[in-house]
Amino acid sequence: MKLLRYLVIVVYFGVAVHPLAWMAMTSIKPGPAAISLNAKFVPAFTDQPINPTSIRFNASLDAYRSLAQPKGSGNRSFFSFLGNTIIIATISTITSVLLGTSCAYGFSRFRIPGGNDWLFFILSTRFLPPLAVVVPVLVMWRQFELTNTHLGLIILYTSFNLSLSVWLMKGFIDEIPKAYEEAAMVDGYSQMQAFFRVVLPQATTGMAVTAVFCLISAWNEFGFAMTLNPPVGQQRAVTVPAYFAGLQGNITGVPWPQIAAGALLFVVPIIVFTLLVRKHLLRGVTFGTIKQ
Amino acid sequence: MVDERSTWMKLGFVGPTLLFLIALNIFPLAYTIVLSMTDAEFVGESAYVGSRNFAAVFTEQSYAGAIRTTGLFVFFAVSIELLLGFVLALALSERAGRMPGRTPILLALLVPMMLSPAVMGLFFNLILNANYGIVNQALRAAGLPQPLWLTDQRLKFVTIVMIDIWMWTPFMMLISLAGLNAIPKYIYEAAQIDRAGRWTIFRRITLPMCAPLLVLAVLLRATDALKQFDLVMAITGPNDASTQTLSALLYHTVFRSGKLGLGSAYAIVVLVIVIALATVFTRYIGSIQRRQNGLT
Repeated sequence: MKLLRYLVIVVYFGVAVHPLAWMAMTSIKPGPAAISLNAKFVPAFTDQPINPTSIRFNASLDAYRSLAQPKGSGNRSFFSFLGNTIIIATISTITSVLLGTSCAYGFSRFRIPGGNDWLFFILSTRFLPPLAVVVPVLVMWRQFELTNTHLGLIILYTSFNLSLSVWLMKGFIDEIPKAYEEAAMVDGYSQMQAFFRVVLPQATTGMAVTAVFCLISAWNEFGFAMTLNPPVGQQRAVTVPAYFAGLQGNITGVPWPQIAAGALLFVVPIIVFTLLVRKHLLRGVTFGTIKQ
Repeated sequence: MVDERSTWMKLGFVGPTLLFLIALNIFPLAYTIVLSMTDAEFVGESAYVGSRNFAAVFTEQSYAGAIRTTGLFVFFAVSIELLLGFVLALALSERAGRMPGRTPILLALLVPMMLSPAVMGLFFNLILNANYGIVNQALRAAGLPQPLWLTDQRLKFVTIVMIDIWMWTPFMMLISLAGLNAIPKYIYEAAQIDRAGRWTIFRRITLPMCAPLLVLAVLLRATDALKQFDLVMAITGPNDASTQTLSALLYHTVFRSGKLGLGSAYAIVVLVIVIALATVFTRYIGSIQRRQNGLT
């Protein structure tokens, strides 16, 4: 039995890690080595030319360096797209967590007319494939001149994540005993003060877990990042996924090492954030259906 | 405390979110309904065409094909992810005994679900390339047949399913783990006193106690899989009959063919399916939450 356990983990791990390992390997290759017909998987840390039939390649950090070079029609580097992603994903995550927390508190503590219907409505927005509303969104965004802007994507991503945020936060806030606030209110706090000084500090881990899930989806969103920044426009708010997807079918060849390097840098902030909340992650994915 | 102020306060807490969601969901949907009855395109005047778009939706091959493709995708991807994720969770659960480096292994396994599907889909074009891709080079070296992962009519769909499995099995594992770790120890101890066998314990305790959460996991994943778009775009583009999901079809109709009216009719029909699923989902969560609250 014990052997079987280890076997399952080792085999799955071995397979699952390969695409990532290959990505890391590709990121230190020179361009031609990435698409060589004889696979190259032994990095050689030298400048000496290597026989083309060898399995060795000249390893370097050139791909990472070239990410900083401005390229393409807009003359922008990878880091400007990364900047867009950071601004859009961070602000939309903070907004959806704050709005979600206050809304969850309202539903958790007050008797709200039609409460369950509202909650159902909030959850149902998560089921809607975003592309189903792409036409009206596009029309509205053009009307308000929100296409090609950071704000346009921030508003959209906030609305995509709000339902998840409300439901996760409701699970967390339901578990904070009401007695805490009641005690604070007996001591002369108003309901508002009780919310800010008693409930919010208790809810921070929940907010952090919720933020991870919102961040992952905003960070990686592709459909609207692409459609709201059409190639004919100024493309001021192109995020990394939209930028990389646009490199497919590049006439000068797809710059694989740069893509690999960029993709790895791109996931680092998410990994770091996930590490920070790792202890509470399990609690977060269960929608408050499990008490631990 | 039931006075004017508390009504305003309730509104202050829940109002902004509700307004936001109404503005960004109800209004666009109403507008979609209006558009779905016109022949609108990106430029020029549009005219009312009644139910013609809906008639087209149900008679056109592409729509039936997209429903079928999406259904198959959701079914295969989600069921395999569930199976793999649950088995992994069993192997990694605390009850299965001590394991050195459990947390680092767990966290490393989670990495694929943090990656951008659009970017990873692009990178799989390199990994799975028929000639210089590493997978086929390895197969060639081993003397095995080298399938055309990205271009074979049937295989492309399987390829997309496999990438999705690679990315989302960790999520299933995470939820399964939460379920397994929440089963109280004393139940297992009682079973051992009764000399229940391994298989009986699994079938009578582990599985039923995890089941509610597994259903939840399946529903969560299914709603996401239903929206599958990024991988399809990366591997085949939006207009490939063998991989065209509903989202890809919507995108193609609106942005490549420029038919806003027809696209909107598609969206409305998708919405009906979605509402049915959402109803099942919320009822389900509600019932487990009530049961949990009843227990504690």
